[in-house]
Amino acid sequence: MDYKLRIQDAVYHVDAAAPDSTGSIRTVLDGKERSLSVCSVLNNRVNFGIDGRVANIFAVKTDEGTWVWVDGRARLVQDADKVDRRKARARSGVPSDVTPPTPAAVVRVLVESGQKVAKGQGLVVVSAMKMEITLSAPYSGMVRAVNTAVGDQVKPGDILVEIEAHEQGDQNE
Amino acid sequence: MFSKILVANRGEIAVRVMRTAHEMGIKTVAVYSDADNESLHVFSADEAVFLGESDPASSYLNVDKIVDAALQTGAEAIHPGYGFLAENPVFAERVVSEGLVFIGPPAHVMAALGNKTTARRIMSDSGVPIIPGMIHTERDTNRLVDVAEEMGYPVLVKAAAGGGGKGMRIVDGSDALPEAAESAAGEALTAFGDNTIYLEKYLDRPRHIEFQILADSYGNVVHLFERECSIQRRHQKIIEETPSAAMDGGLRSRMGAAAVAAGRAAGYVNAGTVEFLLDRNGEFYFLEVNTRLQVEHPVTEMITGLDLVRRQIEIAAGLPLPFSQGDLFRRGHAIECRIYAEDPEADFMPAPGRILFAQSPEGPGVRFDHCIYSGFEVPVQYDPILGKLVVWAEDREMAIARMIRALKGCVILGVKTQVEFLLDVLSSDAFKAGDIHTHFIEEDHFATWKPDQSADCLAVLGSVAYDMVAPRVIPSAVARPGEAGWSSPWQTLGAWDIVR
Repeated sequence: MDYKLRIQDAVYHVDAAAPDSTGSIRTVLDGKERSLSVCSVLNNRVNFGIDGRVANIFAVKTDEGTWVWVDGRARLVQDADKVDRRKARARSGVPSDVTPPTPAAVVRVLVESGQKVAKGQGLVVVSAMKMEITLSAPYSGMVRAVNTAVGDQVKPGDILVEIEAHEQGDQNE
Repeated sequence: MFSKILVANRGEIAVRVMRTAHEMGIKTVAVYSDADNESLHVFSADEAVFLGESDPASSYLNVDKIVDAALQTGAEAIHPGYGFLAENPVFAERVVSEGLVFIGPPAHVMAALGNKTTARRIMSDSGVPIIPGMIHTERDTNRLVDVAEEMGYPVLVKAAAGGGGKGMRIVDGSDALPEAAESAAGEALTAFGDNTIYLEKYLDRPRHIEFQILADSYGNVVHLFERECSIQRRHQKIIEETPSAAMDGGLRSRMGAAAVAAGRAAGYVNAGTVEFLLDRNGEFYFLEVNTRLQVEHPVTEMITGLDLVRRQIEIAAGLPLPFSQGDLFRRGHAIECRIYAEDPEADFMPAPGRILFAQSPEGPGVRFDHCIYSGFEVPVQYDPILGKLVVWAEDREMAIARMIRALKGCVILGVKTQVEFLLDVLSSDAFKAGDIHTHFIEEDHFATWKPDQSADCLAVLGSVAYDMVAPRVIPSAVARPGEAGWSSPWQTLGAWDIVR
């Protein structure tokens, strides 16, 4: 089986043969050949050998990929092709929503309707998990509407400020 | 002795307090909010009272609801844990006025020590050395500049009602002072409802050393040695240990005596912590008293063999301390690492979500005080602390090796934690050499820390092995935000940043 796996920005190609009569799996990763022998997979613990050396990892498979614990280091191992397809889809929709990343309370509103704002300019300050977070303009433009006020409890998906984008070539960009 | 105690807190500390109460044959009452419906502290108590909505003001900070819960369940005493209402004199006063026992110091002592300038005055009057600086707050910027110039820069603007690094600004010169003072006062007003500020001399790279004290209601005060808490990020402790490498017998005696003197000067009762700053010349200065049981108390328990929560309960029940200073000894070395649901690559931003798989480290000298389990959804509304990993060993070198082993075995999958970061810090030459100070994480190569890519190979091969041998099972059919399969909003949503 051919695996094309991604961990953050790094992509790894693993060519794995079916287990042979002794249960060993011959793998090739980055040109290096290694023999894996899986001794036990129980309760998310995988006890296996790599070229005879014992290794223990913990793993949990999810929609996003497999979370793996390697001696204190957690890695999300993803199907590289799935990640690329998801990224391509996301790129086509520019994030334009001014919305909190987590349920929060609005503590300050920094702009008003009709105001011109620059990309990155602070719009609303919300408070969550004992921290203040400034939501800023994803692009420059004019504030078309402010849909919130100090004291409001807001959640991801609530559009707090609507901005009408400027034309291309704006000097504020 | 009490027959029932209410624990006015949540998470790992609530679980920890309940364990001791259980051992003492005391029944426990938990309180919980919506977000904590499935939290371990609720399952660990004999009874649990639902407080309502999750925001702290409606739940863990709600004095009325908590007092009602105690009265309704017949609890005789309340243990406040740390944070929330633990250092709130209004709460302590109210508890007592309702005929209940507050497991902590008297309200008026808490109030006096809670104001930094009052505390400094109390200590200064009793001969406890304080950081050069003001003992009264000052509103007039011109006067502040005068004081600063007399003290000598750099100076630290601090909030009198402050803590946790808020309302603090370092100032290098007089032109920066007015703006810093205003900014600090504003932050303090928002965080503590009190904008009064004062100045202290800013010490260069001090060590942050604190002494645990215990005082009964008969005037007996002892110290239980020190804790070294210099490793911090954003002014919050992340690694603590005892003994401190900066201590020798003489310094420990003098600082211990100063801690006891501080406790006496304040009329302290129950468990408390006296914090000092130790400068590079071996001079120590009183910083503040924390009028509560601290997060890092387990390291003191490990080296003394004492259960501090038990002592707290006994003192609150009117028992005298069963030992004097001469009876107390320390043995070996203990280290604690705080485990948070945070992303060390993203400036330690909270990373809430569902813990898909968790397993505690075990073995000799390992203690993990936590509140997690496989499938636990870490609430977004509170501090994302998952647990405290504590080790004890015969000496520092062995303790470091033991902590490294324990971190490797502290399996948490599904949310980001700083376990790997802590592993690298503990393994570093600087940490092993004991060369630690409060800016350790910003300097010393950890400011731009990244996960070690060489671990990827094993992760990749392991996932291949898992895939080829394990059945294709996806855990938990119920999709909820934060569950694996849903990217955390912290990663996906667009333009925002954090203002501290």
